[in-house]
Amino acid sequence: MTTESADVVIIGGGIIGMATAYYLAKLGSDVVVVEKGEIAGGTSSKCDGNILAIDKEPGFDSQMSLESQKLVTQLVAELDEEFEYRAPGSILVCESDEEMEAAQTWVNRQKEAGLPFRMLDRGEIRSEWKHMAGDIHGGLECATDSTVNPVLFTYSLAVTAQRLGARLKTHTWVTGIRLDESGAVAGVETSNGLIRTKHVVNAAGVWSKPIAQMVGIEIPVEPRKGHILVSSRTESIGTRKVMEFSYLMSKFGKERKVDRLTEQYGVALVFEPTASQNFLIGSSREFVGFDMKINVEVIRCIARRAIRFFPVMKDIPVLRSYCGLRPWTPDHLPIVSPVEEVPGFYIAAGHEGDGISLAAITGKVMSECIMGQETTISIEPLHYKRFQKEDGKK
Amino acid sequence: MKKSLRISHHPLLGEMDKKVISFTYNGEKLQGLEGEPIAVALLASHIRVLRRHEESGSARGLYCGIGHCMECRVQVQGKGQVRACLTPLQEGMEIQEGSRLPNAITGRVDS
Amino acid sequence: MSEIQQTDLLIVGAGPAGLSAAATISADHDFRVMVIDEFPEPGGRLLGQFHEERDHSWWIGKTVAADLIAQNTLAGVTIQCGVSVYGLELLPDGWKVLTSNGDIHTKYLLLATGAAEVPVPVSGWTLPGVMSIGAAQVMANVHQVKPGEKGFIVGVNVLSLAIARELVVAGIELEGIALPSSDLFATEETTPVAAVELLTRLSDAAPAPWMRWGGKLAQKMKLSRLIASCFPKRGVKVWDLPLQLRTALVSIQGVDQVESVIVADVTSSGEMIEGSQREIEVDFVAIAGGLYPLAELAALAGCPFLYVSELGGNIPIHNERMKTTLPNLYVAGNITGVEGAQVAMAQGRLVAHSISYDAGWFACEEEQKLLDAIDEVKEVRRSAMIQFHPEIDEARKRIYELFDHWT
Ligand SMILES: Cc1cc2nc3c(=O)[nH]c(=O)nc-3n(C[C@H](O)[C@H](O)[C@H](O)COP(=O)(O)OP(=O)(O)OC[C@H]3O[C@@H](n4cnc5c(N)ncnc54)[C@H](O)[C@@H]3O)c2cc1C
Ligand SMILES: Cc1cc2nc3c(=O)[nH]c(=O)nc-3n(C[C@H](O)[C@H](O)[C@H](O)COP(=O)(O)OP(=O)(O)OC[C@H]3O[C@@H](n4cnc5c(N)ncnc54)[C@H](O)[C@@H]3O)c2cc1C
Ligand code: FES
Repeated sequence: MTTESADVVIIGGGIIGMATAYYLAKLGSDVVVVEKGEIAGGTSSKCDGNILAIDKEPGFDSQMSLESQKLVTQLVAELDEEFEYRAPGSILVCESDEEMEAAQTWVNRQKEAGLPFRMLDRGEIRSEWKHMAGDIHGGLECATDSTVNPVLFTYSLAVTAQRLGARLKTHTWVTGIRLDESGAVAGVETSNGLIRTKHVVNAAGVWSKPIAQMVGIEIPVEPRKGHILVSSRTESIGTRKVMEFSYLMSKFGKERKVDRLTEQYGVALVFEPTASQNFLIGSSREFVGFDMKINVEVIRCIARRAIRFFPVMKDIPVLRSYCGLRPWTPDHLPIVSPVEEVPGFYIAAGHEGDGISLAAITGKVMSECIMGQETTISIEPLHYKRFQKEDGKK
Repeated sequence: MKKSLRISHHPLLGEMDKKVISFTYNGEKLQGLEGEPIAVALLASHIRVLRRHEESGSARGLYCGIGHCMECRVQVQGKGQVRACLTPLQEGMEIQEGSRLPNAITGRVDS
Repeated sequence: MSEIQQTDLLIVGAGPAGLSAAATISADHDFRVMVIDEFPEPGGRLLGQFHEERDHSWWIGKTVAADLIAQNTLAGVTIQCGVSVYGLELLPDGWKVLTSNGDIHTKYLLLATGAAEVPVPVSGWTLPGVMSIGAAQVMANVHQVKPGEKGFIVGVNVLSLAIARELVVAGIELEGIALPSSDLFATEETTPVAAVELLTRLSDAAPAPWMRWGGKLAQKMKLSRLIASCFPKRGVKVWDLPLQLRTALVSIQGVDQVESVIVADVTSSGEMIEGSQREIEVDFVAIAGGLYPLAELAALAGCPFLYVSELGGNIPIHNERMKTTLPNLYVAGNITGVEGAQVAMAQGRLVAHSISYDAGWFACEEEQKLLDAIDEVKEVRRSAMIQFHPEIDEARKRIYELFDHWT
């Protein structure tokens, strides 16, 4: 057991923790990251790699995504390792006229907000996607959406942060947080000893709730499970991301027209081609606690959904499948926030299905916040207090 | 032509008692024993290259021989991609080696 | 996909363990037993094995397998080949087994999936013509096709010597059996000293008389280092095998398939000697990296594991009666640790008694049979011609203790 010290201790070596470590180290802060397993061993290696604005509400939501997209393009040049970054845009496809109408409304609102959205008619879809089912009505495109390999991205942030002086402690558990007499952060207790520090960032993803409880704070972050299938290498089916619009229909107060299991498991098509000539097919959304077992029924349901949109997939072997736990919050926005009651305690968690997209902006504003600088975007809407108020109402 | 690699008489195990049948590999007409794995029939005719790596194009053959490693992937007409070390040979089978693929994402076009 | 099939006992793996279990249980009881295997024919790794017994008779796996299959056919056991299992789900009354031929519901489930080989990625190992030692065995002994005219074996261990001998019997020429260069794999296991230590375990089956007596002695007196340094540079002939402990493989060469290997002389601690590199023409290379239990299905089922190096890797926790910590789930054969086929068969008989005991048949009688079967496994292990590791009994005890802890 040893005792050491640091300016900032980050709990969690996922993409959020590593992005925060990178931006802090860049500002000259002395950072230690404590990770119970391997870097990117949590949700950040059990996900897709999309950096999306296409499904975000115009307003704060999409502004944050766009800021993050811009930062990622800068990171391509700043970071030490390549991470399969591409920005081919992404599309949503519609199965009915009703969806096309809703899509048109969505595109209009996004365009008013100044975002590069446009409708795609049946012909455009056909000419880009020769393998797409013939009955697809059309879709819409967001031209700036990009994609990365999330594991490489996390490691690239990690090695660059290390070069800038950050220390990474893997296979080390955080077991407690030490406060001084005034109730401010004084240190982090780990399975390998105490680290003295005045600043702690809780970037523990789906495990951030018990970390917050260590300082008596309740945050409503819950695991929302998702499954993904990996195809074997195959001839190209397409080069950019495709999702189904029907999943957004709930935003328009309409029900999805899908079978019972698809509804129950929250299955919606996410097609993501990778540079290795295979593709990822997702995904599902379920609240089943921390259970990480692959559910074959869900896998079959995702496969059926994928074949509905791309009939050729029937003949393409699946290599493997995996699942991950999205750190869900009730309003689908992350918590990126100082905790005023416990001076020196910060939270950067709860990014649900957008942690890869929002890692760059999260790391940037967290570093600015800790270093007492003005933040790139306002983090007021991301304050953890918003949930406390809600609880108060009940 | 090279001599077949078949062990026609094994001192302890004796002879194989299987029917000779015809099949094609990359269009070439060949003979093998009915029901033996595809990879075995090819090996008997000195054919070891079962596929080209999808990305690098380098030659690959069988590795484990018992279905564990997935190195022996070939295309069989009507069956799609199969493991050549497990899939029994049938009369008239049309088999194609696994091929290098162009990569639409990196933009590599040669195949 | 076919309809959901129903059975009382489903056995995954038609190797010596699975087939023995099926034959034993169905000989005694009216029980629906089904065996499935993804290989086109039943027998598992038994099909490729043969070795010389102490009395110089040959033990031929294919014959043993044929015998077991006949017993099973007679007893009405269904054996389905060419069917892969890819998923398992615990049900209130048994297990749902997901296969490439549809789902199967079973009350009891036995996993007897055997072992797989550890690959050794030496330079050039992806060239066609490079294969695992087990593949060379399967080609020559199961399908009776030579892996090539002239080969080289990389890796010195119990399995590589046993299979090398089988290849020679089949009329295949071997240019050498050597270690991979430790410049590439600087692990303890790849030094000549370690190889000698391994060889001393072959006891009676040791390929040369000096090793047979020398082996035991060396083990006792820790002479491996000395033997390794005395080992003749050009190797020795054992069982007509060109064993070369002071030579290491550097790389495998060829354009579209194996054309040659580059080897070099090494010191007893495995360092390459400058300027000693030479090329040997061969048309196949067999890599022997050792075996590990094939236990993915146990992991899918949710079994806890323990890493036990003497047994080859991660082992699903089970007790001496071959029960796992999960309801109605049993294991037998190499999935419980790497050993020879005769031990796997004894384990198969044991697990059959264990299942019938748990099913509540003739409890008294079965209890005695069960205890006898436990003893029999140990006896077979003790007298086996091929010993995979000297401390297997002790290593197994550690797993059994953990089982008690768990339940
Ligand atoms: C199926 C699926 C698809 C997804 N697709 C996308 C996508 O396309 N685009 C996108 O933007 N997002 C996507 N996501 C979401 C994204 O993966 C997550 O939001 C993101 O990975 C969360 O990162 P994180 O760093 O907060 O959490 P994690 O990566 O889980 O990191 C938290 C770390 O904290 C560590 N930790 C926990 N407790 C302790 C402790 N006590 N001591 C020490 N360390 C501890 C954990 O070991 C873990 O490594 C997807 C998620 C899933 C499940
Ligand atoms: C390549 C190789 C060579 C060997 N050679 C020798 C030797 O020469 N001498 C010696 O003493 N020992 C040898 N062994 C050790 C061997 O494992 C034992 O001798 C013995 O065969 C083990 O018996 P088992 O019944 O446990 O497994 P196996 O004989 O391996 O049988 C297991 C069976 O399960 C099937 N199976 C596995 N997974 C699945 C699945 N998911 N779905 C359906 N079926 C499945 C396999 O196809 C296989 O037929 C060798 C092992 C290997 C891997
Ligand atoms: S050679 Fe390994 S799966 Fe066929």
